[in-house]
Amino acid sequence: MFELKPTINALMRSKLGAVLLILQLAITLAIVSNAVSIIQDRMTYLNKNTGYPEDDIFKFNSLNFDKQSDLLQQVELDEQKLRGITGVIDAVAISSVPLSGSGSSGGMQLKPEPQESKRSNMGYVTGDEHVLSTLGVSVSEGRDFTEADVVVIDDSDARPSVVIVSRALSDALFGAGKGLGETIYWGADPLSIIGIVETMANQWPKSSFGEKMAIIPMLRVGNFQKYLVRTAPGERAQVMRQIEELMLSGHRDRVISDITGLDQKKARYDAKDVLMMRMLITLIVVLVIVTALGIFGLSTFNISKRTKQIGTRRALGARKSAIVRYFVVENALICAMGLMLGTAAAVLLGQQLMQWYSVPALGYSFIAITAGLLLMMSLLSVLMPALRAANISPSIATRSV
Amino acid sequence: MFTHYIDLAWRSLRQTPMVTFLMILAIAIGIGVTMTTLSVYHMMSMDPIPQKSNRLFAVQMQTMDEGETWQTEDNIPYQLTYPDAINLQALPGDFARAAMIRSGFSVHLNTPSSKPFIENARVTGRDFFSMFDLTFIHGGAWTEAQSRSAAPVVVIDEEMAQQLFGKTDVVGESLFLGERRQEIVGVTQKWRPTIKFYDLNNGSFGKAERLFVPFSHVKAYDVDTWGNTNAWKFEETRDFNDKMNSEMVWIQFWVQLDTPAQRQAYGDMLMAYMQAQQKLGRFNREELSYGLQDVNAWMNYNDVISEDNKILVGLSFMFLAVCVANILGLLLAKFMRRAADVGVRRALGASKRQVFYQHLVEVGLLGLLGGSLGVLFAQLGLLGVRQSYDYYESLANMDWVMLLSAPAIAISACILAGLYPAWLVCRTTPATHLKVQ
Repeated sequence: MFELKPTINALMRSKLGAVLLILQLAITLAIVSNAVSIIQDRMTYLNKNTGYPEDDIFKFNSLNFDKQSDLLQQVELDEQKLRGITGVIDAVAISSVPLSGSGSSGGMQLKPEPQESKRSNMGYVTGDEHVLSTLGVSVSEGRDFTEADVVVIDDSDARPSVVIVSRALSDALFGAGKGLGETIYWGADPLSIIGIVETMANQWPKSSFGEKMAIIPMLRVGNFQKYLVRTAPGERAQVMRQIEELMLSGHRDRVISDITGLDQKKARYDAKDVLMMRMLITLIVVLVIVTALGIFGLSTFNISKRTKQIGTRRALGARKSAIVRYFVVENALICAMGLMLGTAAAVLLGQQLMQWYSVPALGYSFIAITAGLLLMMSLLSVLMPALRAANISPSIATRSV
Repeated sequence: MFTHYIDLAWRSLRQTPMVTFLMILAIAIGIGVTMTTLSVYHMMSMDPIPQKSNRLFAVQMQTMDEGETWQTEDNIPYQLTYPDAINLQALPGDFARAAMIRSGFSVHLNTPSSKPFIENARVTGRDFFSMFDLTFIHGGAWTEAQSRSAAPVVVIDEEMAQQLFGKTDVVGESLFLGERRQEIVGVTQKWRPTIKFYDLNNGSFGKAERLFVPFSHVKAYDVDTWGNTNAWKFEETRDFNDKMNSEMVWIQFWVQLDTPAQRQAYGDMLMAYMQAQQKLGRFNREELSYGLQDVNAWMNYNDVISEDNKILVGLSFMFLAVCVANILGLLLAKFMRRAADVGVRRALGASKRQVFYQHLVEVGLLGLLGGSLGVLFAQLGLLGVRQSYDYYESLANMDWVMLLSAPAIAISACILAGLYPAWLVCRTTPATHLKVQ
């Protein structure tokens, strides 16, 4: 009923055009399905919850160059000043900024160094008892820090004794749901876990240990100090505008720099991935357009070449629908072969990419969906020329040239 | 003859405007996508200092105990410890060497009108300038004696001199790094290599520093690094002095070795040094090893070209292949339809070869047009790249190599696509086509 045999016969007589289309479709399928798989992987990461209200938090640096001042006192003054601004919920001097791609990382383990024991990589920040509240996270188990927990690192031998960790870190060391009240070792120092936060990304959310974060209640002041501020929703922009002026008033011998929202910090950290996604999306779009144009162009040409045959068929009684069906079936045959070949190529390309680069395994569903869409696109691009062919008048066949 | 073919090609392209448009669009899009990714790749992989890239070497030493691992392919840390850097600096021999770290200061002139700003600084030895080919406009590097005594001196570049003083001849003037007054002894020409090859730990495409400070200031004024510090074992470090004496790695070290013999000698010297240190209880391992890699090897070792970029270049060449297949199909269609004209030409005495050339000229012209449009598309693409990632600002650009290769690639791609159709059409027997008429 689809007149398969004559269609195939006709195809066999002008193989090259068909082969070209098959190749185009195959490569398109291989590229698009792999690109979509990479895009999907990056999307999942970019949409992952970090645990922080990024739009309400910002950071800035302060670099002191006046040796006389009492740095610790200055930090405390600054914190008080910041917390006093209208619209600010909390503020803290912090060792590094989550999601920013820079800071301190290390290992937490079950026994003190240098003993060998189970160990998990993590990123950590240090600050006083305002860290959690400024980050906009809260413990789901245990308690927050109090002022008594905070240790100032100076000439004395005082060391911190407690820590709050993310669920991912406690799970990695003690098993799912456990960890509260246990002791972990940071180098040789024992730290008792007093609180666990469900979701809290560290400074490198993209890394393999991106969800493992520890907060240590410790203040080590230096000439270069980072601050983090959380404002009420919608208030951030106006608070950010007055920061430099406010911080310099009363203490001019310093430079305030990098006043940046946490969302912007993360955007900078993710810029490479966003760029890769955009490039891949552009590639997919133009590739599909070029392939569609190719199918359209070739069908148009084929039809104009066969004008006489089509006229003859019509004169011999073929309905318009039969003509359309002929071209659609022909295209579907080519498409099916192209997509079969393309599936193999996609799997192969996926394997190669995975072998050489850190890309995720290519799911078969991606190939199937892409193939389905390509088939639809191919049929759509053949439909217009086919309808035009159906309108060829039978009288054409009777004229010579 | 060639101009005649060009004329024929032009007429032929105008005869079928739709097909011509589709073909030019296909090649232009293909070239646009390929050149966008290739340009970034090209800029990333370009030799940043071709005149001496094979004479500058980054020095690494395996300082870690037996069994410890690092993320590098050969397990050797990227950077050196402070004591090692100081000792290597003091090795005998007549070759340039420079230990270095990235640091930063708040810079000001200590006048009410000058607002302090934060400036990155390269803290390094005096050989740095000659090794990396920096040119002095005024003054010169600090002297060996100044370096030994940690004299308060700095070198800045012309841009920073302009910014601070409104002129470039500022040798003898002073600026403040924090609260420390420092005398300017030299002003260099602006130096901004696209790849910050001498310090790949802190962002390979970051801007080069404009401010240079003697390495002896590290100890004299507790100048800490603004780059990475890595530890491979637990050590109690309570202050900066502890850090300087620790096994932490945070110093970069470069040497210039002009001959293979020098290089060999330097390698032997490193070995001897490590053996001597072993006697002092360091380098606890069976086999001692060091790294001595030239600029290009060093960039490779540090994976300067991102994985994403390699994937994109690969995918865009596959995409170009699709475009070529597309054009091949369209050319085939176009040329075969013209078979009758060719029949007449052949009958009037044109040789097969002439017909073949004529058609190749036509596809070449197509490639040239498509390639030129493709360069425009690539510029748009690169603009997009620069906008979504300002870190690539200096990388997402086409230099003249890329500008010339765009049409070259386009023309070769088109000729590749045109070979078969041109061959088919030149084989047409004149008789068959003449008969139909």
